[in-house]
Amino acid sequence: MSFKEALESGKFVVTAEVGPPKGTDISEMLHHIDLLKGKIDAANVTDNQSAVMRINSLSVCKIAMDKGLEPILQMTCRDRNRIGLQSDLLGASILGIHNVLCMTGDHVSAGDHKEAKPVYDIESVQLLRIVDSLNRGKDMMGSDLKGSTKFFQGAVVTPEANPIEPQLMKFEKKVNAGANFFQTQAIYDIEKFRTFMAHARKFPVKVLAGFVVLKSSGMANFLNKFVPGINVPQDLIDELKAAGKEKALDTGLNITARHIKQLNEEKICDGVHIMAIGMEDKVPIIMERAGLL
Amino acid sequence: MIITKQKDPNSILETISKYKSFFLIGCSECASLCGTGNEDALKDMAGFLKSNGKEVTGMMVPKTGCQTLGTKIELKKDKDACEAADAIIVMSCGAGTQSATEIFKDKPVYPANDSLFLGNMTRFQMFDERCSLCGECIIGKTAGICPITNCPKGLLVGPCGGMSDGKCEVSPDTPCAWVRIYERQKALGNLEEMKEVIEPKDWSKGQKPGTLATRKDKKELTE
Ligand code: SF4
Ligand code: SF4
Repeated sequence: MSFKEALESGKFVVTAEVGPPKGTDISEMLHHIDLLKGKIDAANVTDNQSAVMRINSLSVCKIAMDKGLEPILQMTCRDRNRIGLQSDLLGASILGIHNVLCMTGDHVSAGDHKEAKPVYDIESVQLLRIVDSLNRGKDMMGSDLKGSTKFFQGAVVTPEANPIEPQLMKFEKKVNAGANFFQTQAIYDIEKFRTFMAHARKFPVKVLAGFVVLKSSGMANFLNKFVPGINVPQDLIDELKAAGKEKALDTGLNITARHIKQLNEEKICDGVHIMAIGMEDKVPIIMERAGLL
Repeated sequence: MIITKQKDPNSILETISKYKSFFLIGCSECASLCGTGNEDALKDMAGFLKSNGKEVTGMMVPKTGCQTLGTKIELKKDKDACEAADAIIVMSCGAGTQSATEIFKDKPVYPANDSLFLGNMTRFQMFDERCSLCGECIIGKTAGICPITNCPKGLLVGPCGGMSDGKCEVSPDTPCAWVRIYERQKALGNLEEMKEVIEPKDWSKGQKPGTLATRKDKKELTE
């Protein structure tokens, strides 16, 4: 069952991430792909994540697909203009890559080529519209394509953005632009997320809640301080602290698994997106503890 | 106005190392307000050059450096001093510098300033960029606040995921342009307007180099 079919069937889906490395030695990445395939429904392949130059998403999507892991092509608007983006979308399509996640992308100042010229010729909402247009056999200028695409397109949303109203307005623009599914910024407060979902449920889209495993209370404090839209509640920080150094990671995994289990059992959303950031081997453990394997 | 900042004087010395004598040109408009092209700035530069073994044959602050013809006429009275110089150093923006390039057909011209942006003077010698001269103004749709300039990503459809507590992902001391637009639209009772998805920008409208003729006879000439 494909990712799209899984979502449409009402199955509680799980996606994770494959991060292309910087350089041509992909052995570790291939190992991560092997760890994830057969367990999750699809894997996002990140696009020069955090504006750090790496192998492009498209090539790694193809490798993941050939190895039996369904890819979601992440596409940011930071590095390519409208011609480059459309051209890569057509390229993805002929390779058989049909899931795309449209994002604006972190600014070059966050990355390792700070002197680069940021592109942002278009942005996430406009990119979703372009994908929709390619699916209907036209490029963004309205010219006919020789053969259309069949993308299943998604977008991202930050349920705990502050202020939230402009973020919700953008969410709605993304829905209207053709987004079929959303993956969220990492969430740690199920009750707050429930409030967001009450709003999101008014729209015909699937929502996968984002997860980043907390390795320690220090990491939680770091996320609270430096990562936009992330709010780790104090009781979780206390729980990690009480676990002590040795058991902090295991406690973090338990917290994630517990939250995922609750989302699934109470049918709060349609699935989860686990951003392991180097701990891909922990994804199956989380899934097991959440009762999903 | 055009905001300029003087280059590191040592880097100027490095670029002009081949030459011995110089004529200095400033500008009484923007560069004077920025303190980079006024009489005092020119005098300081002359002093600096002399203390580094260079000669200054003369200096002049034209009314409007970017007005090529006017500057050319004003320079007539300094003909001899200009001729005596190996090279010209211009202390205005890049446009004024290129007026000099056009005027001095056979003399090298060097910029003393970096041209930064089109800016608003918020207080004396404090400048902020508000407009990037994109060729087609869209701020009628964004509460009179330019997202192309005030948002480092130039986004047209709302805040990015990097916005945090109303502040910008790129410069955390600056408010997010889209939060400002949102708040102003809300205060004006125009929040509905923010629901419109602004079309991708037509960059051909701002194609470089820009050219415009509003004078009637010139219009006819170019048609
Ligand atoms: S939309 Fe263009 S012309 Fe208008 S303020 Fe912004 S950059 Fe300047
Ligand atoms: S935080 Fe706001 S101003 Fe900054 S890049 Fe994102 S949308 Fe633009």
